[in-house]
Amino acid sequence: MSGLNWLRGALMASGLIATALTANAQQSGGTFVYLVQPEPPSLASYLSTSGPIGLVAPKIYDGLFDYDNDLNIVPALAESHEVSEDGKTVTFNLRQGVKWHDGEPFTSADVQFTVMEVLKKVHPRGPNSFREVTSIDTPDDHTAVFNLENPAPYMLRALSGYESPIVPKHLLEGQDPRSADLANNPVGTGAYKFTEWKKGQYVRLDKNEDYWKPGLPYIDRVVGRFIPDASTRTAAMENGEVLYGAYGAIPNIDAVRLNEMDGISVTTDGYSMINPMALIEFNTTKPPFDNPAVRQAISLVIDREFLIENIWFGYGKPATSALSSNYAPTGLYKDGLPNFPQNGDVAAATAVLDEAGVTPDGDGVRASFTLDLIPYGEDWRRAGEYMKQALGEIGIQVDLRYEDVPTWIKRIYADYDFQMNVNYFYQLPDPVLGVHRQYGTDQIRQGTAFVNSSRYSNPELDALLAAGATEPDAEKRSAIYADIQKILANDLPVANVFEMEFLTVYNDKLRDHATSALGAYGPFERAWIEQ
Amino acid sequence: MRNFWALFRRNRSAVLGLCILAIVFVVAATAQLFFPEDPFSLAGKSMSPPGAEGFLLGSDSLGRDVAAGIAHGAKTSLLIGLLATLVAVVIGVLMGAIAGYYGGLIDDLLMRITEMFQTIPSFIFAILLVAIMKPSIESIVVAIAVVSWPAVARLVRGEFLSLKNREFVQACHTVGMSDARIILGEILPNCLSPVIVIGSLMVATAILIESGLAFLGLGDPNIMSWGFQIGAGRTLLRSAWWVCTFPGIAILLTVLAINLVGEGLNDALNPRLRERT
Amino acid sequence: MDHFTKRLRYVLKRLLQAVPIILAIVIVNFFLLQLAEGDAVDVLAGEAGSATPEYMAELRAKFGLDQPLIVQLGLYLKNVALFDLGYSFRHEMPVLDLVLDRFFATMLLMVSTIVLAVGFGILLGLLAATGLNTWRDTAISIFALITYATPLFWVGLMLIVVFSLNLGWFPTSGMENIAMFYEGWDRVWDIAHHLVLPTITLSLFYLALYTRLMRASMLEQAGQDYVTTARAKGLTERRIMFVHVLRNALLPVVTMAGVQVGALIGGSVIVESVFAWPGLGMLAFEALFARDLNLLLGIFLLSALLVVAVNLVVDIIYSTLDPRIEVE
Repeated sequence: MSGLNWLRGALMASGLIATALTANAQQSGGTFVYLVQPEPPSLASYLSTSGPIGLVAPKIYDGLFDYDNDLNIVPALAESHEVSEDGKTVTFNLRQGVKWHDGEPFTSADVQFTVMEVLKKVHPRGPNSFREVTSIDTPDDHTAVFNLENPAPYMLRALSGYESPIVPKHLLEGQDPRSADLANNPVGTGAYKFTEWKKGQYVRLDKNEDYWKPGLPYIDRVVGRFIPDASTRTAAMENGEVLYGAYGAIPNIDAVRLNEMDGISVTTDGYSMINPMALIEFNTTKPPFDNPAVRQAISLVIDREFLIENIWFGYGKPATSALSSNYAPTGLYKDGLPNFPQNGDVAAATAVLDEAGVTPDGDGVRASFTLDLIPYGEDWRRAGEYMKQALGEIGIQVDLRYEDVPTWIKRIYADYDFQMNVNYFYQLPDPVLGVHRQYGTDQIRQGTAFVNSSRYSNPELDALLAAGATEPDAEKRSAIYADIQKILANDLPVANVFEMEFLTVYNDKLRDHATSALGAYGPFERAWIEQ
Repeated sequence: MRNFWALFRRNRSAVLGLCILAIVFVVAATAQLFFPEDPFSLAGKSMSPPGAEGFLLGSDSLGRDVAAGIAHGAKTSLLIGLLATLVAVVIGVLMGAIAGYYGGLIDDLLMRITEMFQTIPSFIFAILLVAIMKPSIESIVVAIAVVSWPAVARLVRGEFLSLKNREFVQACHTVGMSDARIILGEILPNCLSPVIVIGSLMVATAILIESGLAFLGLGDPNIMSWGFQIGAGRTLLRSAWWVCTFPGIAILLTVLAINLVGEGLNDALNPRLRERT
Repeated sequence: MDHFTKRLRYVLKRLLQAVPIILAIVIVNFFLLQLAEGDAVDVLAGEAGSATPEYMAELRAKFGLDQPLIVQLGLYLKNVALFDLGYSFRHEMPVLDLVLDRFFATMLLMVSTIVLAVGFGILLGLLAATGLNTWRDTAISIFALITYATPLFWVGLMLIVVFSLNLGWFPTSGMENIAMFYEGWDRVWDIAHHLVLPTITLSLFYLALYTRLMRASMLEQAGQDYVTTARAKGLTERRIMFVHVLRNALLPVVTMAGVQVGALIGGSVIVESVFAWPGLGMLAFEALFARDLNLLLGIFLLSALLVVAVNLVVDIIYSTLDPRIEVE
């Protein structure tokens, strides 16, 4: 434990040193090879928020904004913006002289088309991010005026090239964006142009010579490599064949080891817009989890520190609420809530069960059920195996079930044929974007993945969520979210387990890659390679 | 019988194999005695090297005893290997013998069915079956048996095709022996040695397939097996080598032993080899 | 001449027989794959993050997954008859293009593995059989068995650690150096360089089978009556062994090699995964878990065609090696 803490300290220090070194003159040229895992289904980031697409597409498509590591807005396609007094009109002043990779000029019509016809209609999170947008006016080629129904402060956090890529109107107009050829032959305004996708091997991008940021990018060629096996990914990183791997491409245990090697570093930066949270979804409509006491007992008995230390090798923070503590700077996070002991509390869990009348039978079994595990890698299996043991201690008997992705998604989100499910959600930079979908009654959407599968429905909470979404006053908003978190800490339709920390492992030859809050989902326009 | 044992004993490596196999069986049978705890239990400090913290063969990332896992896993792995092979050999021999002996339309039909099974790449087929039936011990056994039998069938058919025109079979026909008796009593014993070779390899293959499925994340999550341990330990290979190396060695030794025994059986059963040794 | 027409007729007959098999394979596989829970749309929607049921219904309509099964099957069969394997749901590319793209890589790995494994297997089997029950026999048997019994991914990873990381002789993975994008002969050399470790890993696994089969087969043949006859005729042991026995002993080895060609396409999932080799095994594996049924059916169909062809060739070789087996 202390060893790992020390290590993390050292890690941060090495990050600082790396930053200090970047005062050197940037060098041009070179091929930047990085890990993309698994192979993306397409490169249509306007259709899918799938992780591997995010690793490639934002290098091709720009957003209106980028965000720096402190989540401040950095102008991108929008040079500046103004929000009206009542919060219902947002005007974007667009950059002039920007060209699409095919040479066509970029205009406000592209922004209007992207938001109204693409993101609001076919993007998984777009309908939510832009739900208050009723229309977009384009008084001239370089001005886009968003007219809103209600103020939507969170919208300004959702305008990155990853979350809301601006796509070329002239290549999508008049077609169904879902089946357009653009998905496999992307054309954007970004720092790199799409060149080739060799299925099963790599996707290749080349430098955009006409990029709108003068002098950028430095790198000639960007190649995303697909390597299915985790140990091989580590070996390729060790051998210098790839320079960068993020989102768990390198398993934590190997990252810890590689970090000790010369020339390779590890960072947890670049995930502040993502806010991943490991959690348990309970089926609140069926025994035993229709009883809040059983849900509380599970949250009480799990040793969150143990999971983090032994399965994620020290990377992560025990969850303490329905919201991630990363929301603390915005004032939305509330601490000191019940039912989130760091190290598990067997006595408290037993007491809760006894009090609720969930008592052991002749064999000492209080309840038995099947625990489903998210099929996204070995770590989750280990977590399930740990939980099975931990729950056994309070007389809850668990069978583990680990199925493939389609079977699992259908079981949890279409058939609701589960009792307790281990999963993780991205809470994103605002709870409206990432958290509401898990609790609202309107988010019980059979057949839609990653929404309210617990089927928890509480009118009081629904009212609070609705108020929280539109409240422009920061203080009032934080009071609303405090109430939300209090309700959820007791009802626990979903028990948050820990705030995940993804790791980025990189070769020190690669510089200035962590300039965006989006990290690996960022544009990489300023990155360069030391020759 | 005594004669057989005398012949078998002459092959020293086969005797060695038998000894190793006996030990594996004893370990499997006495696992409960020496490791009464659930092999999944979090027994102590995680990733302890062999010998440390009271773990003979070390512990894994959750602090589970690797030695206990190997002992309990022996049972599972042997069971999977033997059951799957038994099923596969019975089906394969029947199909192959009938096809080879009768020839003609029956042969055509049976061989087309065999070919159908063979045309699907076997490991992918096993993965497919396990994915459809949901990962569990039963589905793994069924999957392995289903992908294994065609090889036996083809081999047996080949032997039957080659043997059925021999003089001794002609002689049997002349004296009016029934088909069943010729197939089972006369031809089959003559092609038993390749069946034993392939069968012994198959038990081993089954154990390896199970570990391969586990490597790809398709093992039974509720039952301790060597495949499970390897699947759980493979990402630790560079940091805590013992977690999947010891189960790997257990597989290696068992597979080796089964094969040595198979070889010994082959030599001892094959009457024509007697004069030469 | 008579012999030739007889053989030609045999080949034609076999090819004709293959048609219903292929048809049966397609139909059986089609229904088998339907047994798997969920479909391609579930996967795509799940990956996308969130998708509305309306969107998913539209996607299903686009892929034709909303049709009754029998209609889907009929459409598929019609397309196959026109040599069209359909469209991959996931890759949004014609299945044939995808498969052919990977076929080269698979064949490369497969053929080099078979050649290496059969070649060394025959050699080792011969050495073992001629030195029956000596230390040489034992050592060869045990060596072959150890290579066979060691889990493939372990061998693969160890080869990477030793030959890529420690010695720096070979790249860890992939088929080409994608930082360089070589052309011409440099590219051929580069691919060959990448091929070495996966081929060794995979052929180590198959080596035992061929060694043991060869040894057993040699011993089997050595006990046959014709050997006694040959000996009685005064032929040298050497001549008996290397001409008569060897020729007949190759029979089961050839059968097995034939059988294995089909299996190798799928059998290399682990090696392809460890070495990031862009073969059909990984493609099929990913297609299964993405429920990309068109793609998976296409791969199975191709593999079926290959196996049928190989079996035919094996049977012809068989009859050449052992004249007692009639070609009828």
